[in-house]
Amino acid sequence: MTQTYVGRADEANAMGTLAVVGKGTPRIDGLDKLTGAAQYVDDMDFGAALLHAAVVESPHGYARILSIDTSKAEAVPGVVKVVTGKDFPYTFGMYMKDRYIFAQDVVRFAGEQVAAVVARDARIAKRAAALVEVEYEALPPLLDPVEALGDGAPLIHPDLGGYEHVPWFFPKENTNIAHWRKTRRGDMEAGWAAADVILEDTYTVPRYAHCAIEPHVVVAKLDQARRLTLWTASQSPYTQRDVFAQALAPLGLSHQDIRVVTPYVGGGFGGKAGVSMEIIGAALATAVPGRPVKVRWTREQEFYNTYQRQGVVARIKLGARKDGTITAIEHEMLWDAGAYVEYGANVVNAAGLSATGPYRIPNIHIDSLCIYTNLPPGGPYRGFGYSEFHFGLESHITRMAEAVGMDPVEFRKKNAIAEGDTLAYGEPMNPSGLQEAIDRTAAAIDWGVEEVSDDPNVAIGKSLCLFWKAPAMPPNASSAAFLKFNEDGSLNITVSGMELGQGYLTVMAQVASEILAVPPSKIRVETPDTDRNPYEWQTVASHVTWSCGNAVAAAALEAREKIYKVVHDARGYEEGSLYLEDQKVKCDTDPDFQMPLADFVVAGIQMPDGTFRGGPIVASGKFMPEFTSALSDPETSQGGHPNVHYTVGATGAIVEVDRETGKMRVRKAALAADVGKALNPTLIEGQITGGLLQGLATVLYEDMRFDENGVLLNPTFTDYKIPTSKDVPDEIIPIIIETPQPDGPFGARGVGEHTMIAAAPVIADAVADAVGVRLKAMPITAERVALALLGGGQEAS
Amino acid sequence: MKHSIAIEVNGEAWALDVEPGEVLLDVLREKVGVKSPKIGCETGDCGACTVLYDGVSIRSCLVLGVEADGHEITTLEGLSHDGLSTLQQVMVEMSSFQCGFCAPGIVVAAHELLQQRPDPTREEVQEAIAGNLCRCTGYDPIVDAVLEAARIGPGDASQGKGP
Amino acid sequence: MTIASDFDYRRPATLEEAVALLAGCDRPLLLAGGTDVIPWLRNGLASPGMVVDIKAVPGLDRIEWRDGAVHIGSLVTFSDLIASEEVAATIPVLAEASHTVASVGVRNRATLVGNLCSAVPSCDAGPALLVLDAAVEVVGPDGQRGIPITEWFRGVRRTSLGPGEIVTGIAIPDPGRHGACYVKLSRYRGEDLAQVGVAVLVRPGGESRVAFGAVAPVPFRAPAIEEYLAGRALDDDTRAGLAPLVDAAISPIDDMRASKEYRYHMSRVMLLRGLAAAAARLEGGGPPYGEQVI
Repeated sequence: MTQTYVGRADEANAMGTLAVVGKGTPRIDGLDKLTGAAQYVDDMDFGAALLHAAVVESPHGYARILSIDTSKAEAVPGVVKVVTGKDFPYTFGMYMKDRYIFAQDVVRFAGEQVAAVVARDARIAKRAAALVEVEYEALPPLLDPVEALGDGAPLIHPDLGGYEHVPWFFPKENTNIAHWRKTRRGDMEAGWAAADVILEDTYTVPRYAHCAIEPHVVVAKLDQARRLTLWTASQSPYTQRDVFAQALAPLGLSHQDIRVVTPYVGGGFGGKAGVSMEIIGAALATAVPGRPVKVRWTREQEFYNTYQRQGVVARIKLGARKDGTITAIEHEMLWDAGAYVEYGANVVNAAGLSATGPYRIPNIHIDSLCIYTNLPPGGPYRGFGYSEFHFGLESHITRMAEAVGMDPVEFRKKNAIAEGDTLAYGEPMNPSGLQEAIDRTAAAIDWGVEEVSDDPNVAIGKSLCLFWKAPAMPPNASSAAFLKFNEDGSLNITVSGMELGQGYLTVMAQVASEILAVPPSKIRVETPDTDRNPYEWQTVASHVTWSCGNAVAAAALEAREKIYKVVHDARGYEEGSLYLEDQKVKCDTDPDFQMPLADFVVAGIQMPDGTFRGGPIVASGKFMPEFTSALSDPETSQGGHPNVHYTVGATGAIVEVDRETGKMRVRKAALAADVGKALNPTLIEGQITGGLLQGLATVLYEDMRFDENGVLLNPTFTDYKIPTSKDVPDEIIPIIIETPQPDGPFGARGVGEHTMIAAAPVIADAVADAVGVRLKAMPITAERVALALLGGGQEAS
Repeated sequence: MKHSIAIEVNGEAWALDVEPGEVLLDVLREKVGVKSPKIGCETGDCGACTVLYDGVSIRSCLVLGVEADGHEITTLEGLSHDGLSTLQQVMVEMSSFQCGFCAPGIVVAAHELLQQRPDPTREEVQEAIAGNLCRCTGYDPIVDAVLEAARIGPGDASQGKGP
Repeated sequence: MTIASDFDYRRPATLEEAVALLAGCDRPLLLAGGTDVIPWLRNGLASPGMVVDIKAVPGLDRIEWRDGAVHIGSLVTFSDLIASEEVAATIPVLAEASHTVASVGVRNRATLVGNLCSAVPSCDAGPALLVLDAAVEVVGPDGQRGIPITEWFRGVRRTSLGPGEIVTGIAIPDPGRHGACYVKLSRYRGEDLAQVGVAVLVRPGGESRVAFGAVAPVPFRAPAIEEYLAGRALDDDTRAGLAPLVDAAISPIDDMRASKEYRYHMSRVMLLRGLAAAAARLEGGGPPYGEQVI
């Protein structure tokens, strides 16, 4: 399925003479953000009637709630309402309905909300929340997915068998397995038999926190006519509305009664996708009708009561021939998915379909198990399972190369997946420039040239790892766009994708600009409002450039058609002879004709007799892939087409390791990504720099610690360290590869998540290269490197 | 018990009543209506609340409103009073920020640096903004913009005053 | 930002007024920079009846030479110390330690004395002031007194400051020609609390002063190590001999920031690197003050 633009844009793309697409157009939201004009949810004013909420949370990882006494809290002056789980006994969830608005009889993670106080101001709410008395019967929490699989492990969700879920999830009743994705292809026995070397090992990746600088926040109001409006810091206004409608259906509310408005969002990284704490705001609004109520998370709550990136224990067995050809892979991932998996189960699903990595492997056996634990709910995080599994996979690929005596880059080049190769679920691989990515990354770090430090304490290692990812979406995830012109020839585009910082608004403007010949400075792209902006599934999965870009392009093309028709109707020129340039309609066959858009895109074109033709030019566009299906054989995952396409690339680094202290310094990093078409290279470089640093942080120093009760010990920036300006690699070399995506706008595909995916194995490999220590668990901190070296190169378990 | 305080915010005088337990960040956002200093962590670790306090950068989440009586506060809004500074203009042109939530704090910190050191090294820029966490950009595009603004120098910008 | 508790706030104009306020209130809490106090108010670690803000008391914000010592007032911030020519010329290790504290926006408010009064085991001011033989100057209901820094730290978050007393400053006797180094173990290059802190000061004639932080309930001097080093060249034998002495002197714990084992290991590494840097600086060479040696 190819997206072609009839007319100048298509030819220009082919000739390389695009006016705006492909340029580093300055962000159209730059002025807002540099002046303080940019408004985020917490900046909005709701007047004197605004109420504030404070949440009562479980101190236990697993406990029965015996009683809740709210009387003291209710008696505090200024308290308007106190609610508990009894007031909202409804389940909800995106892919599986296993979550509650407030805990019912059981709390399943430390930090889970049990009650909430709504008061006239935040300080009163906080004081009153401390007066709610909850009696618990503490139970031993399950904190380890392997333990949760054991015989006799308590069932965290005994009613699992009765939960509603999407048809492509497979929960195992009477276990803690919420979903089990099995991918089977080829003949494993033959695959092992064909191998000269077989290598098997286990890799452990813990949980991580998103740490967007803007905390989650929601303001919700059920007005006197029972219209529920929510202002949320969200990546997913429409999906949020759908989940709110689902959860609050028992109260008689449906989609038309619910409006979600999202202004600028201060970072998402997946953590603001779906619905996490916002459900509390929605519920509380129904408890205090007529009053807006704000729930704003503290930084501590950000850490322990929003989605976390799931942990995984991954066992990988790989077989390869002496000549380096990979013959078989067995990849078993046991996911620590947390107390509720309504979103996180899709992370497990996505990994289960793609945990071969970007390699051509004929015999495949993947098991990806979503396992309940008494820890915070796992969910979407940049990379969506791929960041999690690439650590083990790429480490293992390098070790396999060494086992067959081959250079790790050569080994990867030999096995790298190419267009047309068969994917794990049986469909063909899309066009991709993986070989080019490998070659250019290797060149950027002088692969093959060993470097020696002047400092006798310091060893230098090099590494190069591959990455790939496809959007993990339901088969009908779609985007839509409205477009209208203004009297001055400017235009407004309304979409419901989110500007999280990735530059989405700017890129949509560039797409429309290219087709309509209006400069981006005269295009406003408006942030979502489910009443006014058309549908967007979510801003996740690195898919909106592709999906919404297609929708915006469709809208722009429709607008262009209408413009040509009006000019034809009014002035008689053949539509095929008209083109747009420099905000004017011009004509191939009459070089003297030019009509500024501003003259007629609202007012219409006047005829000699005084009547007018045309009127306001308004257009719409939508995009939904019609070739994807999530239905396949539950035992093999064959027969479906779950993923639209993959973006591939490579990450390489030169790393210094101090043998005494274990400290690591990334001297140089190179990252190549095949984006199909770089609609805005500056923004892509921004994703490379930002994503790479985020990935390096997960492997070098982000380190979540829970105690034996499942309580998060470091829910602060004091003790969960995210990078500062002093922690950046000395040099980052961004490499943009462009192998067009046939169904993408101007050939583009997404890249927002991919830039962090290979960072972790890059460090593991570089440390192994530098000092001969192979660490198979994250994070790889200075302490672990130093102690491993002291221990003779092995790690004490 | 409420205290009366007199503060100047971005050149404008304000007389306010505050409880001792209200921090300056909340006073600015809720009582003065200045929204650019952000709530990011409330422990002084993220820098999103950074403002100039008598010309010196501080974390407004770590100051009580009552302490600020008699003091002058400048926020991002105050830096663009007469049009964009060179620094802001360069940051717009170079697309230095992504989500923008850290921008007010970082611009204030960078502004202070350029006032003190008009020709900073890369390391000095990194040090000046090391207390401002940014999760999106990886910092290099911001540091590049500060160095470019320093190179252009104050008063050479197409509009606005100062570095 | 929710500080849930209620309290009074006063800002005395003189030291006498401040002392009187402390005496008249049952749960007073002194406030200077606020970078520790405000978080305590927020998380409930402190619920005072009255916050006494001493920033209006005159004369406490100076760094000055007097009677053969550098006097640092209790309102002097870490930024002041870093910018001070006095400090750079006479006791640069204090600026070096100051530079490792938090970040610019916090250092512009946080005071050296506040850091000492919070007295967390990892405080950066502790080891540096210990090797500088500082004295803490205090004023209270019974008048003035000086407390040697070696008697200041009593336990985790506990100092020798008595009820109703206020620290007015720190006095650091002129150390003369010397080389010094403060080495701080952090989890990365960004701001962090020390997992190990080592301060070293060496003087002509072979005198060494060594202090540790974050490896015991309080920062402390290590006389056994100092005696061992007296007059010894820093050769391989000396280095080997130091390791067991370090192990004997410190008592680190396992916590989420670092393991006991790594702290033992790094204490040895940091002492050796700190001694080498200090010795080089004594001779006018070595890494410039402010450049970390690990």
